[in-house]
Amino acid sequence: MFKKNRQRNEELDRLGKTVLRFAAASEEDTEAAASSPFLFTRVRAAIAAEQRLQEESGSWLSMILVARRAVPAMALVATLAAILTVWSARPAVNGTQAQADEEGLFSLLDPGVEQTVLASRGLSRDDVFNIVVDRNYEVKGK
Amino acid sequence: MDSFAESTDDVLVAAAATGDESAFEQLFERHRRQVARIASRFFAQREQIEEIIQDSFTKAYFALKTYHGTHAASFKAWLAQITVNCCYDHLRRARRRPEQGMDDLEDGGTQEFAAWLRSHPADVETRLISRDLATKLLSRLSAEDRLVLTLLDVEGFSVAEIAEVTNWSISKVKVRAHRARAHLRRVLQRYL
Repeated sequence: MFKKNRQRNEELDRLGKTVLRFAAASEEDTEAAASSPFLFTRVRAAIAAEQRLQEESGSWLSMILVARRAVPAMALVATLAAILTVWSARPAVNGTQAQADEEGLFSLLDPGVEQTVLASRGLSRDDVFNIVVDRNYEVKGK
Repeated sequence: MDSFAESTDDVLVAAAATGDESAFEQLFERHRRQVARIASRFFAQREQIEEIIQDSFTKAYFALKTYHGTHAASFKAWLAQITVNCCYDHLRRARRRPEQGMDDLEDGGTQEFAAWLRSHPADVETRLISRDLATKLLSRLSAEDRLVLTLLDVEGFSVAEIAEVTNWSISKVKVRAHRARAHLRRVLQRYL
């Protein structure tokens, strides 16, 4: 059994070698290819084309290298900008939480809008106070 | 170019590496037949062989600086290595093209192929048909299988020489050769 298999494999290997030899080009074709006219001219043209390609890819490569160097600097600037944004958005450290709430309700720190309204109607703060007191009195009277 | 006629390969390589075109042309003239002979083991068409010659010398030109003073082997051996690698690249590319397959052989040529395998063709016409069939049959093998079997059985390289040429380890060459032979046996068995 093993002997038969071995013989079969040897026969197939022999055939395989024949197939490999037959797939090769003939001596005539090989010689014709080697002595083909303008072959060196073609090689020279291929070299020139490859050189052009390398120069083009070289310029791209240098651009990528410059960009690679710029990346850490840009990352540093972005980090600094993020830190500054967070720091500026924080509430003032001086003053309590209650003060901050009151300021939010009465806008004492920023009376600009109120003053603008009063100035446009020719009313003083006292006039406004009197109007409010009178209105409250009328409401209670009713 | 005549000024380099008596120069050794190493002198020519040194001159060509500095941009001397006539030195490179002299190297081309000296070694183009060797390159063509290696290519002819893998490819039957004249155009394919010419393409391998062109690619091999182009690659060699750009690698000249890496050869000089660092490569222990001769320029001939160094160029052979480049040529084998070029052939390997072309085999791999050919495998990716579907038209290079064996479909037409499976459709109608099975009987013809089996008859050819049993005969020993002698005349030119039969040999041409045989070459075509053999090429189609070998397209069934991977580029690695084809490379290792051709170098072993046609070129007569040793395992160590194949390892050097392909930059594979010796054990990889042995395993690849074993698998390639088994694969070729299976392919052939279908037609016998």
